[in-house]
Amino acid sequence: MLYDLRRADVRIKWLVTGLLATLGLSYLFGAVMVALYAGFTPRSVAATYAGPEMSMAMPPETTVVVQRPMSMADFAKREVHTVDAKLLIQDTHVHVPMYGLIAAALGVVVAGLSLPRRWALGLIALLFAAPWLDFAGMWLTKLASPRFAIVTLAGGWAMGVAFLIVATLAVHQMWLSRERD
Amino acid sequence: MNFLIRAAVIAALFHITPVVVLVKRPDAVQALLPGADAYVAREVHLSGTDAHRLHEAVDWSPEDGVLVFYAGSAGSTSVGALEFVRVDTPHGPIEVAVGFTPQGTVRGVVATKATVEMKPWVLEAVAAGLTDHYRGLKPGDAPAAAARIASRVGNLAEYVAQEVDKGVARALAAYGAFYNHVRA
Repeated sequence: MLYDLRRADVRIKWLVTGLLATLGLSYLFGAVMVALYAGFTPRSVAATYAGPEMSMAMPPETTVVVQRPMSMADFAKREVHTVDAKLLIQDTHVHVPMYGLIAAALGVVVAGLSLPRRWALGLIALLFAAPWLDFAGMWLTKLASPRFAIVTLAGGWAMGVAFLIVATLAVHQMWLSRERD
Repeated sequence: MNFLIRAAVIAALFHITPVVVLVKRPDAVQALLPGADAYVAREVHLSGTDAHRLHEAVDWSPEDGVLVFYAGSAGSTSVGALEFVRVDTPHGPIEVAVGFTPQGTVRGVVATKATVEMKPWVLEAVAAGLTDHYRGLKPGDAPAAAARIASRVGNLAEYVAQEVDKGVARALAAYGAFYNHVRA
């Protein structure tokens, strides 16, 4: 194969290494952001995306008022970060293209790895499937059932695992393998 | 390749950053309902007709069709009420707290949340006196504080001020139509 990262020009290896390091940094902070805003458990993800909309009743026939006493402590309670349908539309619109570009960039790296064709195809499929799972989980959690939060978690972990596999193989083949130039 | 780079730049530019708290809710409550020692949350569950009426008036529907007002009192004396209103923008949501006097005029406005990206724009607008221009407004008035500070701030601060104007307009419309006119 003409494109083989093991035997690529050092400038290409350096470029790929820079790309992986940069994406790795963003993935690391992405994980921190998830921890801060949505959490890593199905319950916390469901609370973020399902929100009160899951139990939303039809509008009442006439406008009704419900009153309850509040204390200052109630105002200070930690608010659960929620993403409603409008915000999720916006998030999907801006995140999915970026995820696609990242999957494409990592897919180009995979194409230059010395791997059996099936493994390479599987890895590229995983790179693209992860964001699909991520957002499918968010929408299903919102529209169908909070139980689908597990799909979002699976998508997030798949993204991290796929990146780690690609980064490890690429660094090994470019800089450590005996067969490299 | 050129397309990919352009698409990445566009995606990065429009990437929504997380929401940060500018003023904690208890601090906003104390500022907008000064002296209050008891609070009541008044949840107004809008009928389809009323929700439509509000939407026609200010192009907005509250989350889940429920308006939440917080009334404060000191002993048996009403101190006023406040609302937290969210405005969704292409740069993410911002939240403003709008406080009302017992007479129904705006006592004050506090920007409580914004995205990391918008935070400096909000702070610039507030430093230019944005929220001072809402005091005394009453339901039916059109907030135009953004125009009042336009000559003293940059374009982005003016933009975010227009979004705060929207939030205040929503609060005024909701308060005017539903705070005192629906019985518990």
